[in-house]
Amino acid sequence: MLEYIKGFFELVKGLGITGKHLTKHAVTLQYPEEKDVMPERSRGVVVLLSDKEDGSLNCTSCLLCMKACPTAAIIIDAPRGEDKKKVLKKFELDFSLCCYCGLCEEACNFSALKLTGKYEYSTGNKDDLIWDVHKLQDVGRDVDYVDKRKKKVKKVAPKPTVSEATDEIKPTQSADKIETKPVEIKTDKIKTDKIETPQDKDEKPKTEGEA
Amino acid sequence: MIAVGITVALKEILASFGLSGGLLSVVTYAILASATFGLLSVLALFLVWWERKIAGHMQQRFGPMRNGWHGWYQTLVDGLKLLQKEDVRVATRDKVVFFWAPVMCFIAAFAAYIVIPFGDGLIVADLNIGILYIMAITTFTVISLLMAGWGSNNKYALLGGMRSAAQVVSYEVPMVASILVVVLYAGSLSTVDIVNSQAGNFLNWNIFRVPYGPLAFLTYLVAAIAEANRTPFDLAEAEQELVAGFNIEYSGMKFAMFFLAEFINLFTVSAIAVILFFGGWHGFEFIPSFVWFFLKTFAVVFLLIMIRWTYPRMRVDQLMEFAWKFLVPLTFLNIIIAAIFKHFGWYWEL
Amino acid sequence: MSNLRTEEFDINMGPHHPSTHGVCRLLLTMDGEKVVKVVPYIGYLHRAIEKICENRTYAMCIPILDRFEYVTAMSCNYVFSLAAERLSGIEVPERAEYLRVIMLELNRIASHLIFFGTTAMDIGALTPFLYALREREYIMDLFEMTCGQRLTYNYIRVGGVSKDIPNEFTPKCRETVATISDKVEEYKRLLNGNPIWKMRTIGVGKLDADLALAYGVSGPILRASGVDYDLRRDDPYSIYDRFDYNIPIYQNGDVYDRYMIRLDEIQESCKIVAQALDQIEDGPIRAKVSPNFKPAAGETYTRIENSRGEMGVYLVSDGTKKPFRVKARGGSYPHLQLLPEIATNCMIADLVAIFASFDVILPEVDR
Repeated sequence: MLEYIKGFFELVKGLGITGKHLTKHAVTLQYPEEKDVMPERSRGVVVLLSDKEDGSLNCTSCLLCMKACPTAAIIIDAPRGEDKKKVLKKFELDFSLCCYCGLCEEACNFSALKLTGKYEYSTGNKDDLIWDVHKLQDVGRDVDYVDKRKKKVKKVAPKPTVSEATDEIKPTQSADKIETKPVEIKTDKIKTDKIETPQDKDEKPKTEGEA
Repeated sequence: MIAVGITVALKEILASFGLSGGLLSVVTYAILASATFGLLSVLALFLVWWERKIAGHMQQRFGPMRNGWHGWYQTLVDGLKLLQKEDVRVATRDKVVFFWAPVMCFIAAFAAYIVIPFGDGLIVADLNIGILYIMAITTFTVISLLMAGWGSNNKYALLGGMRSAAQVVSYEVPMVASILVVVLYAGSLSTVDIVNSQAGNFLNWNIFRVPYGPLAFLTYLVAAIAEANRTPFDLAEAEQELVAGFNIEYSGMKFAMFFLAEFINLFTVSAIAVILFFGGWHGFEFIPSFVWFFLKTFAVVFLLIMIRWTYPRMRVDQLMEFAWKFLVPLTFLNIIIAAIFKHFGWYWEL
Repeated sequence: MSNLRTEEFDINMGPHHPSTHGVCRLLLTMDGEKVVKVVPYIGYLHRAIEKICENRTYAMCIPILDRFEYVTAMSCNYVFSLAAERLSGIEVPERAEYLRVIMLELNRIASHLIFFGTTAMDIGALTPFLYALREREYIMDLFEMTCGQRLTYNYIRVGGVSKDIPNEFTPKCRETVATISDKVEEYKRLLNGNPIWKMRTIGVGKLDADLALAYGVSGPILRASGVDYDLRRDDPYSIYDRFDYNIPIYQNGDVYDRYMIRLDEIQESCKIVAQALDQIEDGPIRAKVSPNFKPAAGETYTRIENSRGEMGVYLVSDGTKKPFRVKARGGSYPHLQLLPEIATNCMIADLVAIFASFDVILPEVDR
């Protein structure tokens, strides 16, 4: 009998604990109205980063991210152009395959892509999950990042001064790639990159491409 | 206070329109039945929302928040959705039984309200066997659950139906035994008489008749939870074991009927608890009697909701053991104690 | 009554059932409410993780193995990294070891919280589940702050960890650990004395030590049966010898003990994390490991104490940058095998309670 009375008081104690919680405020958020602040390192949507100054893509088509991807979610097609330079023809990221491991970001030496805290990209159509280069770039425009590229590149990009750039050859070359490609990609939208190449070549002497 | 009963008042009004005889009774009761039906439907919708809100806040969530202020018409929208849904019927069902089970459950849940006084005079019919009638009519629920379990032709559903049959039949005994204590003091089975026997000072309420009053209330509460199929005795639909138990094959409006009936049963058992132990509609005079009744009933409903969301579920054999080996002897013992107290007049009447 | 003819019937519990924690099919032969025979059918979640790993470099294997046992993905990361380190003899920096221990123990707490919640839910109490998940979210926040993900971390790498903890991690972690330690006391107040809970758990699903050992049971379930065996102490790895903690042991081996031991372990893990936060010093977080990491040819079986028992990786390397064979061992598989042994001739409600108390993660069983 004593056991039953003790059990009864235990039951009342249980009610007390849940009743105490009744008075507390909810810990959940009302999602579409209230949003959680995503941490700095949050690994969500992968975006392609653009240069902070001229808005061109940082990608050099080195294919390192594609090789690092464990699920083969990244597909890059970058054939060599006439001047033996890689031209980024296709950069597709399939978010239905992506596992958000962040290995691509770690593999990239040029701050070309980043996993961001963005997460609202759900869709009713699976094909919409394959993002092309324009979408990846557009989504990533407002993303702040630390530029991993060599400082020299930055100097070259805005002001084409011959004397500084001649000191080192390699960075300028990479800078060149970064410079030239975005121009092509933007024209890619009209699918007339071949026609636009003369323009490209016009720019090159300015940035002293051939050192 | 409304001196005349609502039925009598309504009859007089209708008689002034020239109705008389059998037709008068039929029209009167039809009007009252539809009024009760409307009230209870609103009540059930409210209770579903209220339970979800309480459960949510208890678990530090919000519960429904989308439709209206704190989602107040959420259940209405849910009901509309269920109305529109396809009525999925298994091909191997027992057609007649499958169809009538939810209907019966629904009717049984509503029929009890004939004798429940919502306030002073607010009663459809004051039967002299009121409580007995409620006990009889609420037991119909178990037949409907058994029908649902059998008619679905599903093993989970059958297990659920069998469980509920065993459970309700066992808990009927302690429930009636607990009620008998009150009947002993009121000297009547009529719900109005039982309430009136607790009139006057609130110390006249049966719950304050120490020691047998609180004990009878507790045993009644336990049995009532079992009757209403709620955790810790919700074995008939034990989600983690039988998925949904007896209503596993039901969808659309048929499911909604079971669902609403469950909440009406919840209100029924709480209302009976108020009538039996908390003095029904009695309270301070300056507040209308039906307000008192609803306040008290909602307090009991709140307690039942708290219990549901706090405790784990019992196992089926433990449930039966608890009923027959503990609850039944205890309630019978309680009747004897109450009889002794009554015989020697060891109780107050303020 | 005794000559009343009864008939047994089969019932499929799962693949989709609220209490099978994933997709496991239990074929039950029932005699009324009583379970006469249980046969678990597995394989609904087979993703060939081991084979996939053979076609990936060591760095790529880690995010794949995250999905092996996703409730404690840190230990999947860790056990694979440890195996690769042992093959190639890489020395892990001191700070990385501490970070690993902190993350592993936080993940153990998170996993046990899931256990607590789901077990309570399976026994019918829905509210503790929400409480447990509320606390788990704090830990997930810590993980997200550190490595960016809440479930599949890819944090512990060959040679160390991928990122150092941010500045606000330490105070927040201390606070979280203290909160959880308090909350566990509250859980105990809520359920331990509850007569219904006791009725449902005490003496249910008894597992004696001999049977447990015969079936290769490990982890909390083994310790709840009275066998004092914890790989953190008995097969030392990392720096667990530097911390002061107890290994809780219970004797009865029923559902109640299996539940209690996990609540106790949460509190012990809280202690370890607090101590690790005190002892940790600045330093490098990752040894130099080339992106084309190639361990020496050889094989190793590395095991650690996971929240579900012994988690091991048998790694064979042929000296190339991809592993030749990865065999992952998880605790849940032997535990699921045990189910027919101890759940026979019990009620269906007990079967659910026993299954919940084993804390089986089906993706780990099916791999």
